[in-house]
Amino acid sequence: MSRLVPTAEMTLGPFFPREFAQQASDLAGDFSAAIEITGVVTELDGKPLDNVILEIWQADAAGRFDNPGFSGWGRAATDARGVYRFRTIRPGAAPGRAPHVNFLILYSGLMRQLQTVMFFSAAPDPVLNVVKAKERLIARQSGNTYTFDIRLRGGEETPFFDD
Amino acid sequence: MATRIEPRDPLTQAQGVEPGYAQTARRWPSQPLVRRPHGAGELSGPRDLAHKLPPVKGDLAGYGAKRALGQLARLRIRVLDEDGAPLPGTVVEVWHCNSAGKYIHPNDTHDAPVDPNFYGAARLLTGDTGLIELRTIKPGAYPVPDTGGWWRPPHVHLSVWGRVWLSRLVTQMFFPGEPLNEADAILNAIRDPGARERCIARLVPSRSSAHQNEMIFEHQLVVRGRKGTAVMP
Repeated sequence: MSRLVPTAEMTLGPFFPREFAQQASDLAGDFSAAIEITGVVTELDGKPLDNVILEIWQADAAGRFDNPGFSGWGRAATDARGVYRFRTIRPGAAPGRAPHVNFLILYSGLMRQLQTVMFFSAAPDPVLNVVKAKERLIARQSGNTYTFDIRLRGGEETPFFDD
Repeated sequence: MATRIEPRDPLTQAQGVEPGYAQTARRWPSQPLVRRPHGAGELSGPRDLAHKLPPVKGDLAGYGAKRALGQLARLRIRVLDEDGAPLPGTVVEVWHCNSAGKYIHPNDTHDAPVDPNFYGAARLLTGDTGLIELRTIKPGAYPVPDTGGWWRPPHVHLSVWGRVWLSRLVTQMFFPGEPLNEADAILNAIRDPGARERCIARLVPSRSSAHQNEMIFEHQLVVRGRKGTAVMP
């Protein structure tokens, strides 16, 4: 069968409906060992961005992506100060991987989705290994809170992946 | 069989910074994007999304005294993968402005009027043939602030999940025969004319008497992903 060409991606625009982003930032639910992942999303010159949409995809505590009792998908939007928050659990290590959380970023002025990955430590990992500025993908821990700031462009620019 | 994701084609996908769209130069990364190996995480995805993102508002046009202003339109949008296989049970989010060019979002400062009978956001699940059908009104055009004359042509925003994490698709659907399509910085960021053409819906005759007062637009979305064995390089 001949291959169909994937549809061209286009920017999310500035007016993604607020309510679409407000129901899915808590992945932990009733799990007792919840953590918070939070950060600020900024553009060139460090200006924080409002209504950026972030989606995450992560493994369960055992490193599995197919646990029917835990859905590792979530979505959050930044507020007017550029801050996003997820409540989730700490993922385990999938085979061959260090514990990590996949991030997808959608926003006005981004012609297509950006992908990055948050790690919990500098443990060996085949995806972290292809990045030069590894330290920018490792979250800062304070108790149960992990801070992962995302700089789209300039300064301490976050490394992003092409797939 | 596992899903395989091949690199994006620079002719059929936008490349980041566009001269006609100033914000892209403040937001698209200055460093080259890094290619990474794909494993179980990248090539799997949420299976219970309809539970987290339940369908809302299957009809945006309304009826009688509650009818939204504008031309009635029925959008028939089919979601397929690269092999041409339809994706049933996939979440599709749709949002667009009203017939005067105004969004429901509080950040929209355009002085076009709000339509009290129009709420421009819907979430649907594809049926067995990968199809969603949405009754709505045709959105208007609107000027983009501080751009010296750029008007967005009428368009509908679409957000779709495919089979895996890397097949997520966020795009826009355009309407045929709109003069503003020719100069739009977003549509024309796609270099390949055929790929641009595939972002424009097709107006089809309404054969059914039930839909005679609606303009019917058919459209197809192709999410990334083919059948194939995942390789961890």
